[in-house]
Amino acid sequence: MSRVLFLLKEAMVSLRRNMLIVVGAVLAVFISLSLALGALVVNEILRLNTIAWQEGVHVIAFLNDEGENGIPPGAHDDMLAEVQGWEEVDNAFYWSKQQAWEEYQELFAGQEELLDIDPTILPASIRIELVDIELHSSVRFRLEQQTGTVRQVATAAESIEQLQNLSNVLNVLGLGMAIVLGVAAIVLIANTIRLAIYARRDEVSIMKLVGASNWFIRVPFLLEGMIEGLVGAALAVFAVWLGASNLARAGEAFALFRLDVSQEFFFRWGALFLVFGAVAGIMGSMLGLSKYLRDADGTGPDVPTGF
Amino acid sequence: MIRLDNVTKVYEGGSVAANDVSLDIQKGEFVFLVGASGSGKSTLIRLMLRDEPVTRGKIWVAGKDITTLPKWKIPYLRRSVGTVFQDYKLLPNKTVRENVAFALEVLGRPQSVIGPQVDQVLELVDLADKAARYPRQLSGGEQQRVSVARSFVNRPPIMLCDEPTGNLDPRTSVGIMKLLDRINRTGTTIVMATHDHAIVDAMKRRVVALESGRVVRDDETGGYEAVRETLPASPALPTEPILSEAEEE
Repeated sequence: MSRVLFLLKEAMVSLRRNMLIVVGAVLAVFISLSLALGALVVNEILRLNTIAWQEGVHVIAFLNDEGENGIPPGAHDDMLAEVQGWEEVDNAFYWSKQQAWEEYQELFAGQEELLDIDPTILPASIRIELVDIELHSSVRFRLEQQTGTVRQVATAAESIEQLQNLSNVLNVLGLGMAIVLGVAAIVLIANTIRLAIYARRDEVSIMKLVGASNWFIRVPFLLEGMIEGLVGAALAVFAVWLGASNLARAGEAFALFRLDVSQEFFFRWGALFLVFGAVAGIMGSMLGLSKYLRDADGTGPDVPTGF
Repeated sequence: MIRLDNVTKVYEGGSVAANDVSLDIQKGEFVFLVGASGSGKSTLIRLMLRDEPVTRGKIWVAGKDITTLPKWKIPYLRRSVGTVFQDYKLLPNKTVRENVAFALEVLGRPQSVIGPQVDQVLELVDLADKAARYPRQLSGGEQQRVSVARSFVNRPPIMLCDEPTGNLDPRTSVGIMKLLDRINRTGTTIVMATHDHAIVDAMKRRVVALESGRVVRDDETGGYEAVRETLPASPALPTEPILSEAEEE
């Protein structure tokens, strides 16, 4: 127990003595992990929005009017029944001229000049939710063949698909970025620990002289690296959480794009980043120490040279 | 206690620091390694500490062949061998007490053991009243006494000293030698590399003289004389004896 306390004390003393170097290492971890976590948050926002958009109506088929100057009565019902039978279609429903008018009034409420239109000019439509967003072109093609009934086809699926592709690319990029920044954090910690050891090389040599094992020398540095990694990671998680929370509040004004990321996301990734920070710190320390503790016969290159 | 069998050490580049050296040092002996700079004194000490691997030959320390010692056991060898160097090798950011205690912390001794043991050894080196000071607040002689205390605090059976008086004036050197002599009387084997003529002559202990890595003389109670003509004269020979008759008894 006293040995553990001694090693902890040594680590704390070293952290205090090399404050400037320590701050550098913590900042390095903080910046690397903030960027990595930030990339993950952007990915999450895109993923959530893609899902939200995927869940809505993907294709709208605007229909020609039935009646005297239009298509025969009952054509709309026939069309709806046909569309509902298509295998690409998950759900399809009819949207009457009256519903279209009400929707229009709702959308442009408060803009009197836009509301002053003939209610009959808005067409009825069939609104379609697809089984799979990628099937939109096939459905669009089939609808466009119905030239008699279908006036025009509008689809949000292309935009959603593009968003999905963007999200996939960003996912890969984000993952790549997280890996690169993670490695950078390890290398930066390694460098910092190496500097700390260089500053204490005489001490390390004296430790060896009095019979300290390599592990006894290593542990305070490993603890030091772990603490630096943990603090850097904790700051990064907090900063990104704070940023994302503010972004979510700012995003409440946008109806079309949600910017809020769940707390559960932060708990999950936050915990993972803390573990990564600690592991990166330990790995960095191991790397930084290897040069000093590697040796030809177990004594290391920096054993007292004053003979 | 220490045995060297036909030990040869050749450094990269071909310089021979030890050439077929054989020595047998008994428990409790005080042995001076003397010789000019580059004669191989320090190399022998490094070899005994396994700070350098031998090129040929065998070295036994406390009954163990250290030439075949696995890497991970080297710290254990070091714990049974106290070392004192010319430049003290103290930790500047630790107090006298912490420096001495450090050797016991490394061994994982509990605080209940460390405290009394450090107090005892600080009394021995007459530095109990300066335990809270830092090395920079001490004179050279005091720093060397701290170094001796640190190397002796865990009561090693062997102490290797490399020019421990090299940075000290003659009077202070006497103090250090008295201390080493007291430690030796407790049964600790001491091997000391030096080129301080006065000390070697006054102590009248075993002298092993080296020249170009070879043992050229091994006297049971010798002086520096036999090699004196090959060395520059000592700049400050003390006029009084190092140890008084009373102290020798």
